[in-house]
Formats: sequence, structure tokens, C-alpha cells
Amino acid sequence: MNISYNWLRELTGARLTAGELRERLTMAGLEVEAVHEAGDDFVLEIAGLSNRPDWLSHLGVAREVSVLAGGEVRLPEMRAAREEGKTESFTSVEVEAVDLCTRFTARVVRGVSIAPSPAWLVARLQAVGQRSINNVADITNYVMLELGQPLHAFDLEKLNERRLVVRRARAGERLTTLDGVERELDAEMLVIADAARAVALAGVMGGAETEISDATRDILIEAAHFAPASVRRTSRALGLQTEASDRFERGVDPEGQLRAQARTVALITELAGGTATTDAIDLYPQPATPTIVPLRFSRVRELTGLDVPMRDSIRILGALGIERAGADGAGSSADDGGARSAAAESEAAANFVSPSWRTDIRIEEDLVEEVGRHFGYDKVSDTLPAANVAGEYRAHEGRRRASRRALNACGFDEALTFSFIDTAHDEQFEFLPGLVRRADEASRLVTLSNPIIEGAARMRPTLLAGLLDSVRHNFNHGTRDVRLFEMGRVYAADSEEGGQPRETDACALVATGVATEEGHAGASRELDFYDLKGALEAALAAMNVAPVEFAATGARHLREGQAAQLTCEGRAVGMLGRLADDVAAAYKFKQPVYVAEIDFAALLAAAEAGVRYAPLARFPSVTRDASLVAPRRVTFAEMQRAVVELNLEQVRRVALVYVYEGERVPEGRRSVTLRIEYRADDRTLRDEEVDELHGRIVGTLEEKFGAQLKR
Amino acid sequence: MSSGIVGQQPETVREAFEQEFGRFARFRAGGADELTFAEAETALRELAELRTRHTGKKSALAGLKKLIGRVAAEERAAVGQQIQQLENEIIAALEESKQTLDAHVAALRVERELLDVTLPGRRTRRGHQHPITLVRQRIEDIFVAMGYTVEDGPEIETDFYNFDALNIPPTHPARSPQDTFYTTEGFALRSQTSTVQIHAMQRRKPPLRVIAPGKVFRRDTPDATHNPMFFQLEGLLVDRGITMGHLKGTVTEFLRRLYGPQTRTRFRPSYFPFTEPSAEFDFSCFKCNGAGCRLCKGSGWIELGGSGMVHPNVLRAVGIDPQEFSGFAFGFGIDRMCMLNFGLDDIRLLFENDVRFLEQFN
Repeated sequence: MNISYNWLRELTGARLTAGELRERLTMAGLEVEAVHEAGDDFVLEIAGLSNRPDWLSHLGVAREVSVLAGGEVRLPEMRAAREEGKTESFTSVEVEAVDLCTRFTARVVRGVSIAPSPAWLVARLQAVGQRSINNVADITNYVMLELGQPLHAFDLEKLNERRLVVRRARAGERLTTLDGVERELDAEMLVIADAARAVALAGVMGGAETEISDATRDILIEAAHFAPASVRRTSRALGLQTEASDRFERGVDPEGQLRAQARTVALITELAGGTATTDAIDLYPQPATPTIVPLRFSRVRELTGLDVPMRDSIRILGALGIERAGADGAGSSADDGGARSAAAESEAAANFVSPSWRTDIRIEEDLVEEVGRHFGYDKVSDTLPAANVAGEYRAHEGRRRASRRALNACGFDEALTFSFIDTAHDEQFEFLPGLVRRADEASRLVTLSNPIIEGAARMRPTLLAGLLDSVRHNFNHGTRDVRLFEMGRVYAADSEEGGQPRETDACALVATGVATEEGHAGASRELDFYDLKGALEAALAAMNVAPVEFAATGARHLREGQAAQLTCEGRAVGMLGRLADDVAAAYKFKQPVYVAEIDFAALLAAAEAGVRYAPLARFPSVTRDASLVAPRRVTFAEMQRAVVELNLEQVRRVALVYVYEGERVPEGRRSVTLRIEYRADDRTLRDEEVDELHGRIVGTLEEKFGAQLKR
Repeated sequence: MSSGIVGQQPETVREAFEQEFGRFARFRAGGADELTFAEAETALRELAELRTRHTGKKSALAGLKKLIGRVAAEERAAVGQQIQQLENEIIAALEESKQTLDAHVAALRVERELLDVTLPGRRTRRGHQHPITLVRQRIEDIFVAMGYTVEDGPEIETDFYNFDALNIPPTHPARSPQDTFYTTEGFALRSQTSTVQIHAMQRRKPPLRVIAPGKVFRRDTPDATHNPMFFQLEGLLVDRGITMGHLKGTVTEFLRRLYGPQTRTRFRPSYFPFTEPSAEFDFSCFKCNGAGCRLCKGSGWIELGGSGMVHPNVLRAVGIDPQEFSGFAFGFGIDRMCMLNFGLDDIRLLFENDVRFLEQFN
């Protein structure tokens, strides 16, 4: 809100400079974002707080200034120059929708001359950013800016039967508002109507047909109070936000209508002539009852740590218009505070009346805040609370950090992507095992009813969609070698209808392009499946998870024959492989992309691998290699298992040396070179013993897998 | 002077040596500089052969030395001395040449094997942690050291946790689908990590100290300073006798550990439904230390976040008696802190995952 410095001075008499006001208002909670010069005036741009609609007026800001600068707020002239006759002799008002219109006041001024406003009024309105229209319209605006009460002036002669009805609109009823737009209303919108039709959108904007014009002689001044939610709804539904709707939405003083109306009528009779009625129609069936808020003065120190003398508390509250209630209890002698002992003061209490314009003041803490902020938060000292509890990280934080660093060491950059993704991805990916339990998956996913990014309405059931978007972003910006991982939550609907969605921690990896060395431009080689698997293994090792097994699998988003499933403690916990061609094509990828996704929460929850020391070997071991030409589909794991299952005590390790395919190996087969380590605990093995064991192993592999020993 | 069976033989030996050694003579006093590495190595090899031929067991010199015993006794000393001198001269000539050549070869070898020590070391490319992770971990470390427990809660919440328990009135605009994301089943994507306050106070009894870093969602269209998803950190302490002084002291201590001991803080009154009294907190600009610069837009202060004393309605909602306990809460944006700390000019960079961006953080 734009606040005129001169206007504030008229209301308060305060002598602070605009610069001083800027600093002190900001530190009292009215953030002054800028100060501009405007002719002989300054304009303070104030960003108020959402619970202080009273700051949307010069009067409201003046009350704060009066506390900061001392002195009292002086209300302006309220008497009409000429008065005659009762309002009800000229018009009548009926409020049908009493739930939406809690108060409605009307007063009539007859015989006005609509003309341009005097220069001072034009200048002042201009200074705060308002355009001058004519004297009467300007005065209603002026009073709104001064006192915070929106007002409207109707051309009385244009009202059918010269009367008003406040009611809900009829569905489909039309009204052309002051901005010249014809609007279709719905039955929830509150309108002010005459005997025949809607003539104003209550609290939002007047109607064009009853607008005052140069020919207008008699006017009806409306000042009302409307239910904030109703005004907000109407304003949103019509996309029509106005100075009036802003104020009504946030709440205007329910007791301020007559004062604002009197001020308006006084200015009109002064500047536009005419004769005002002597009274106002005031439909106010349920007057607001003042809220009494008790304050124990000691609570100020207990909550803020500030030592505020009781008389300062009373002074600050009083200057804000928060007066002590007439009959006090224990604190009845609170105002001779100067002479009281500190002990007595600490027990003192008083009841305060929350002013009608301060709907935010309801409880003791609200009063504590008023006292504290005006006494000065700059006086709050820095104190550390005494330590009585021990700090603690999230469960498994160390393992999370270790796995992140392990992935970094493997060349993977950490990514973060939006939690909402396009619904188009639903069919592309297979999700983490067990995430979606039912057959009709789409209905078991979590969907936003109001997405902000076009199409991104699905709460992600997989991290892969976002990571692959990031891969595409990098491709589009010239980076072809990309390794990314993300740790974050994936979401699925609860298995029970209406249950809170399930969220689980997942981790996903994507890799494409070539491996590079730090500081070197050249590529060392193309990344492949085993780079991804290696990174995953490194992350799992860093997390110290129980042993994980990899087995060939099929998955919707993975290329057939290049996909693996991970299991841990017999439970499927993730998948990895090369992105399937159709998914890659949908992303317009032209180079192989490898992806993995694991159920991070399940892996963290699984038993952590323990460390148990094994005595160091006392006798040397002997290693023998065996190169076996076997069908390609025989896996390394199967060979390894076959050796292990022989249960030979002296066989300590079966490791891979290399795999070879190509020249001199028949089509459909490959050569797998295994290295087997033999050792006994009680002696050095003799060559003949090793030969015998090795022979048995080779024989078993040959027989079991149709393999031939390569010589 | 020589006589008897030795006769002129020493002179013959000397002449034979000098004739063959002639082409190496220039190396006795330097003179190898023009030789290439290969020429110098060849010269050294030939010099070694020369030495064997002229000083070895089968050399004329060796033969001569064997004769010494047969020289008449009275002349033996003189003859012996003469032959010894001859040998010394030959060896000295060979040694000196060899040293020159050795030195030259060594110098050339150094040149040949010279390393460019500025070439990059050999290591595979390392990945990088996301800036939000870096900042989050640093903050967590500070607060854990100050006795806080790191907590988290659901990202998809019920209205109770996201609004009701936080004393946000039913008509508050933050609840509108303009501002908050809702699922088709009516759950809200949490719009602030304050929700975790409620979970934490339900799980633990005071005294408690909790921080909750996490993802939050607001319906903002992405632009240079907004994302519809960002990270926040909420702090909460509930105990007996807690005041705003403790709040300020705690926030100040945290910021000093993060930005250095010269950091100052200030409160500005504000409004949040879940705290009363409420205050925004600013800290002195870490770049100019309060003098005013571009980072702090000339004010000397950087706005960090909101804070206040936990509203009694919030304490009551989780069964804590506000007459017995009081507490403070504070919250700020981790993304915003990233922007400040790293000088980012566009917040959208945080979720684009451009490798050229990510690899700048370590």
C-alpha cells in the first residue's frame, strides 16, 4: 500500500522524517519497501502483513506511527456542512443475505454538483497512485485510503424504486460493472440490487448503470461490511480484484462504517455541495461484541525475554487503541505501576479490549507481541538455551552419505528433479517391486488435481522419468557424456481407498556416453552395463548392505537380454539395464543409455553386513586358471555356484579373469577364464593335490554346462 | 732411461695408446656437448673397449708390468715407477674422457625423461554432490552438534498436518488450490516443513529440539526466483522457560557457524499463523559484513526466514500445555541459501541437472 507522508503527518502530528519513518516502521513490522518523492510529499511503499488489514489505510499506519513517535491520532472533520431530513424518507434498504452482509449503512446527499476534484485532492490521490475521476468518486476513494472502509456512491435516481436489496445473485443474472465488462453471476455471489436488478457486486465493484455521472443530483452513499470469504470467492470466480475486494477479503473494521460514511458526507457537502440527510440507515442485526483479552504482564518477559516495565506495556497498547477494560481483577491498580515493587508487578494482570479493527488480537500472546515489537526486538538478547538433549541424525544418515560419495567416486553427479512428472510416463516404466500392488496401475498412482506444469500431474512412481529428462536436457546443451543419480521419494496410492499415499525412498542412476578422466578431454571408452552395475555395487558396498544378487530379468523399460533384477535377502529391490529402444526413441536418444532404480528404503532396512575378522592364512595358496568355452547363456554366476556347490574345503575363491568372444571361439559360445584359489589351513598343498581338485572342478563344469577346457 | 729387457717398450705402449685414444682426447676437457645421445653412448662403449684393450689383463701394459720383476734389482724401482706412471697417465686419460661423456649422457637422459609435471594426474572423473545436498548436510551437522534431532515427515499430507494443527484458519488463502497442490484424493503436497513440527511433537515429549529439512511444494510458475518445488528447513525447540532471546541466540549461533563469528542478526516483527509473537530474521551480509553491496541490495542485511514462539494453539493441538512449556520455531529456504552462498542467478538451474552446472560444486 502506498502511504503519503504528509497525510500521515496530518493524522499524527509526528515530526519524524520520511527516512526515519521508513526505518522505524520496518522494524515495527510494516516493511517499507521504498520511499519516493512525489511533489512536496513522500510516498512510502508499505508491504503490510496478511493479518493486518487495518494497515491498508492511513489511519491504521498512523496508529503505529503514534506509538513510535508519541502523540495521538487526530481523526479528521466528520460533520456535514448542511443536513436535513431522514434517510428513510428518500430510500430504503433490505438485507436478505444476512450471512454474507453483516452490516449495511446508507446515507443520502441531495443536490450535489458532480465536477472535477480540487487540486489538492487530485494531487494526493495521484501521489499514492490513484487516478482522479470526479469529486464524488474521488472522495469515496480518498476516504477508503484514509480510513480503510470501501464505499460506493449510487446515483439515487437511477435505482428502481429508489431502494436497495442485498441478496445473492440469481444464477445467470448479468451485471455490467464499472469497468464496462458484462459479467455473468452465479447464485453464490452477493449483489446489491435495486427493485429490479443487480446494481453492484457487493464488496468488489459497482455497476455501470447506476454510476454517478455529470447529471447526477442525488446520491446514496453505501458503507457496508461483507463476509470476507464471500468477497474472495466472487473476486476469484470473476477474476476481478479491486481495492475494495482486497480490503473486504482481509477484513474491514466492522465498526467503521458510520465513521467513514460521515467523513465521506462531510467531504462531499464541502466539495460537491448538496444537503446530507441527518442520519444513516444502519442495518446491523448482530453487532460485534468486543473481545476481552487478559494479560499477565510477566508473560511479556516469559515469552520475549524483554524486561518491559508495566507502564510501557500499558502505554504501547493504549497508543494502539488497545484500552484496558473497565473493571479489572487482580491488576486493578496496574496504572500506578511506577511506584510498585518488581515482585508485585510480576504478578500484575489486566484485561484489555481488542479494538474492532484488530481482529488479530484474540489471546494473551497477541498482546505480548504488540508490546514486544514496539518495545523493540532489537533489545532481545542472544541467549543459548541450556543443553539438555543430545543431537541425532536421521536413521542411516551415515550410510546415505557414504553411498552418495561412492556414486560420486564412480563419476555420477547428484541430480534433483521435480516430484511431479508427466502422465505420459505411466506406461513407459516398470516401477520398484511392490510399489504398485494392483493390476490397474494408473489408478493406484497419485495424481495432482491442480498441476502447475502442463501435463506434470503424476506424483512420480519412478525417479527415472525425471532423470531421463535431465539426460535429454544435457544432450540438448551439447553434453553427451552424462552420469547422474538421484535419491528421493517415489509415491503410490495407498492400497486402501482414501488412505494417505505411500512414500518410499528410492535411488536411481543413469549413465550414457563415454568414461572420461578428470582434466582430460579424451574419452577412455564407452560406458556400458557393467559401469552402471559397478557403480551400483560401489554404492551398496558403501552402505554396507547385506549381500545382493543380480539375475537376468525382463522389464518394460529395459532392453531384452540386457536387464537384471537385484534381490536382497530374497526380496526384489530393484532393476538395472539398458533403456529399451522404444523408451529411448520416445526421449529421442540416439546413444545407449543405462538405467537403474533401487528401493533405497528397503536396502537400508535390510540387515547391515557385519564385520567378523578371519585369521590370516598361515600357509600359501595356489591359484589355477581354467578357460572354458561354454554356451553364451551359461552365466558366470552359474559356473561359480557349480564350483561352490562341490563343497571342496580347500577351494577358497572363484574369480573371473576375463571373458572372450570372437575368433577361434565358435558362434554362440564364449570363453570364460576362471581363477580358482586353493589353500589348506594346516599345510602347504602339494601340486598333485591341487591338480586333483582342479581336475574335478573342470570336469564338473565341462559336464554340467557342455563346456570344453581351452588348451 | 729405460734399459735391459724393458728397453723402449713403454714408449711403444704409450704411442699405441695415444694413437687409438687420439679421437677421444678432446673429451678430457669437456668437448662432448655437440654429441647426440646415441653418439655419446657409442663413444662410451668404444672407450670402454679401448680401456680393456689397453689396460686389461691381456694388454701390452699388463705384459710390461709382468716384466718389472725381471729387471735388475738396482734399476727395478726406477723402471717400476716409470711403468706405473705410464699406467696412471693412460687411466687418467680414459677416466677423464669417460666422466665427460657420462656427464653428457646423464644430462641428455634428464632432458629425454623430463616430465611435464603440470599434466593432469591420472584419475577417473569424479561426480559431484548437488548444491542443495552440500548446504543441507552442512546445516544438519551444525544443528546436530547443537543438540537437535533431524526429523522428517510425509511430503503428501493431510489438511490436519499441513494447515489445521498449524493454526492456519479454514479461510486462509494458502489453503486455496491456487497456492497449494492437492491430489485427486484431497491430500495436500506439504507447503512448508512446519508439518514436521507436529509429527515431532506427537512422537516426542518436551524438552525437544528438532530440525526438519525437506522438500515442499507451492503452486508457483517456475521463473528465475521461483520453483513449484523447493527445500526448506524447519527448526523447533520446546522446553520450559523458552523465550525469543533463546530463539535469537540459537539462530545467531547457527549463522555464525555457517558464515563466521562476525555475523549479526536482527528480528523484524512479522506474522505467521503458527507462531506468536512472530518475526522475520535477517543476518548481516556475509559478503560486505553489513556495509551494503550488490548481494544484500545495499541494505547490509540478508533476509533469511521466518520465526517465532510456537503458537499456543499449536502446542495444544499436540497435547502440550502452553502454560508449562514454551518453544520457538524457525524456518528458511535451503534453495535460497544455495543461491546466496554460490551466487546463483537463476533458481531453475537447481533442478535442470545440467552437468556443466552440477560439476561446479564440491
